[in-house]
Amino acid sequence: MAFGRRVVGLLALVSALVAASAGTAVADISKFDLGARIYTKHLYANNDSQGTLWLGNPFWPDQIAGSNGVSSQLEITLTGRVSDAVSAGARIASRYGERWQDYWESGNRMYGDVVNTSGDSVGMNRAAYLKLRGPWIQLNPGLRAIDWVRIGASDLGMFNPWTIGKLRYIDRDNGKGYFVSGSVGEDRSLQWVAAAIALPKLWVGPWWSTGLGDPELTNPFWSRDWAYATSIRWAAREGTQVRLVASMTQDLEVDTADPDAVGSSNPSCLDALGHPIPGCSQDHAVDLYMRYVATNATLELQQDVGETVRAEAMVAISDQKIDASLSANGVALNQGVSPVVYKNTRDVAIRMRVTASDPFENGLTLKGEYFNIGAEYNAIFGARREADVLLTDGFLGGGQLPTLNLANEFIDFGETWVESCIGWHGGTGLLSWDNEDGDLRLEAEYTFLTFNTNRQNRNVDSVFPDFLHTDGYTDTMLYDYANVGDRGRDPRSVYRRNQWRRSQIAVFRGRKSFEIGRGLALDWKLKYIHDEDYRSTTTIDDDYLGKIMQARLQIGVPVAPGVNLAVGGTVDRWFEQNRRGTLELGYGDDQTERETGFVTASYQYGGLRAGWMLEYVHKLQRREREGDQRWSVWRSKATFEVAW
Amino acid sequence: MFRSPKLPSARGAAAALVAMLVLPLAALAGDKFHVEFADPKGDDFGPGSYKYPTDPVYARGSFDLRKVEVKDNGDTVEFRVTVGSQIADPWNSKDWDGNGFSLQFVQIYIDRDHQKGSGFTEALPGLGGVAFKPEEAWDKVVLISPQGRTRLEAEVRFKAPKMKGAVIIPKKTSARGKTLVAVVKKADLGAPAATWGFQAVMQSNEGYPDKKDILTRRVNEVAGQHRFGGGNDAECDPHVLDILAGTGKGGADEVAAQKAALAYTCGSKVATLPMIYGGR
Repeated sequence: MAFGRRVVGLLALVSALVAASAGTAVADISKFDLGARIYTKHLYANNDSQGTLWLGNPFWPDQIAGSNGVSSQLEITLTGRVSDAVSAGARIASRYGERWQDYWESGNRMYGDVVNTSGDSVGMNRAAYLKLRGPWIQLNPGLRAIDWVRIGASDLGMFNPWTIGKLRYIDRDNGKGYFVSGSVGEDRSLQWVAAAIALPKLWVGPWWSTGLGDPELTNPFWSRDWAYATSIRWAAREGTQVRLVASMTQDLEVDTADPDAVGSSNPSCLDALGHPIPGCSQDHAVDLYMRYVATNATLELQQDVGETVRAEAMVAISDQKIDASLSANGVALNQGVSPVVYKNTRDVAIRMRVTASDPFENGLTLKGEYFNIGAEYNAIFGARREADVLLTDGFLGGGQLPTLNLANEFIDFGETWVESCIGWHGGTGLLSWDNEDGDLRLEAEYTFLTFNTNRQNRNVDSVFPDFLHTDGYTDTMLYDYANVGDRGRDPRSVYRRNQWRRSQIAVFRGRKSFEIGRGLALDWKLKYIHDEDYRSTTTIDDDYLGKIMQARLQIGVPVAPGVNLAVGGTVDRWFEQNRRGTLELGYGDDQTERETGFVTASYQYGGLRAGWMLEYVHKLQRREREGDQRWSVWRSKATFEVAW
Repeated sequence: MFRSPKLPSARGAAAALVAMLVLPLAALAGDKFHVEFADPKGDDFGPGSYKYPTDPVYARGSFDLRKVEVKDNGDTVEFRVTVGSQIADPWNSKDWDGNGFSLQFVQIYIDRDHQKGSGFTEALPGLGGVAFKPEEAWDKVVLISPQGRTRLEAEVRFKAPKMKGAVIIPKKTSARGKTLVAVVKKADLGAPAATWGFQAVMQSNEGYPDKKDILTRRVNEVAGQHRFGGGNDAECDPHVLDILAGTGKGGADEVAAQKAALAYTCGSKVATLPMIYGGR
């Protein structure tokens, strides 16, 4: 109940602020902007899946995933100046997924799940209906301490990946809340933001939800679930900045013993013998309990030293509390696939980074980073994609994020992946050098990693989620969520029953430009990962050793104004001893050979932006204990986009 | 079982690393054209009233021009523009084929002949109400932008077709600390000389610009999350945060010189961008 009152109190405060400042909002100098955009995407591959999204939702069938088809989307953006003090905007966009072949679909589903030619069978997703997205109103209240108040949509980019992360691009309109920002001082040296954000019903809580679908709940209640956050940034002096970010997510559920609750276990306040239950009385108010609360905070210090050196330090804390009586055990009941450790947790993370940008004025830049992320740190509402908290290229070449809530979904092949860095402890050194003529860039990286998650006999049956597939180097090019293709470790899988792991990553990449024709650029990347895991320390029979070698080469040529072409390829060799198996059944030594070739093109003319990629992937997986597997995949993606 | 290939020895890796470190040190510059202009600290307010957008990514000093260098490197000419804050990349420019930074967009206008009637007196679209004096008309402009070449070429071709031949897109643009570095082919620019005039205009990169603007961020009357404030909604104001002024030596008097240059009156007075001559 106390938490419920706090929610109401905060909302009332924000509402009062808005109401008190709204007197000047008169439509006297209104200005209206209308923008539009059409986006069309083609996907084709030599398989029999139909859809226009390579990887869709792994849990809820989304009807648009597949590798063959063409879809278009229209979006209309409205922004307006209501007055000097008030502006507003929204986006109206068609639902993506109607394939060109769908022709006359009306949006009906008159035949259940049967797809037929009637035009009334495949539902709204395939009828490209227009939907309101991202409505917002912004007020400049004219107060000294408050710069703006926003009511409605935001991409939540004002916090950080360790607390509340910027929403992934496809979710950018979905976050909504109340946001207030202000500053202190003539030069705004202290800036702050405070927010109350509606929690998504999916993902920010145990059982991947804020109550819905949880078998422990008979009457899930998710409409008063909010997150609260603040960011305070102080530019102490030129080159010195301190920043505090704190967030709390709060999932409330109904007290089913309350006689006023729907489906109450005590509707009449009488026990089984007909006697009154002490303290039970109807008052037309429903008590609430907290199912899940997560608190995350970071304190960052940034100091510039001279013109070229920047030192950064950050400490973060993560805390979660789960009421097991209101939340089913997603680790035990969902095959270890859960965005939370199923117990109360508290842990810290530290990151320190020094960057010296061309300190000797010879093109050489040096970066160093130390990181130590606790085994139970988790940013449940943190960034899920399109962000990166560590310098390293990592195992997958994309971003590293301190959450179990990664979202490598709703993506096409060729896009960057993210991996969880929970428990990572180590350091990265990075050197880069640009020559004076600007036609050569070299980069070398080395990362050494140990893992705070190293432990024996970890309870992955009912406490720590292992995401079912814990072994083998992850193949992001040929990934499938159900793992029918033996694609290796889930990028979220940071916990293992027995682990004693340490890893090294070395990367050398470069770019050389040549004065040939309109210019020619050569890009290359060589990467080696040395990954050891003794797993159980009581035997050597399960010791894993992975030697992952990757090479990539690309040649890019601008063939005409606005037209770029590139061709290239990759060669991978993965040698993995004791890659997969069990002590009982034994482990196998597997070898993977993967080669790709690709052609990409981009074209810009008169406001049209087009892109095309054709890729061939050949993979041979030689497995000691199971049969070998081979892939021979052709696939292409083309996009056309105009905005006006 | 299989045998994994041998890795390079530690000695070999060390030798490669040393080579990487030593090579750049060997590339010493010769005695060639090198000019350096300075600009006062804290004058990133256009004509005196401009304010940064309210979003925290626009860190203090990000648009405060401090130093501009032009250096002849033989076949290339290097432009270095230093600002008052470490250059950041909050919008992950590598994701959009960018150059490693997000916020700044610097246009360096160059008058090679100091001749009336030669060159352009209007700036590229997107700088609002600004002009050059006829005798200081510019002949070339170098775009130091986080955007990739293809996007820049397309923007110029369709929004400033008559200036297309005068626009130089560097062969390489990068960010190092507080400094933006752009390398331009001498074949595109010509050999810089002491008689040339330069003006560096500080703007902000806007990936979704107005349909007439070349990737610039507008200045409104009231600052918004991604709009500068302190200007005029009628768009007669210069959409310029900072410029070189006076003699380009960074003296306190150059603050007043900048205010005077960028002063405007809607309907009657357009801000004038001065060229700074006298490089060595």
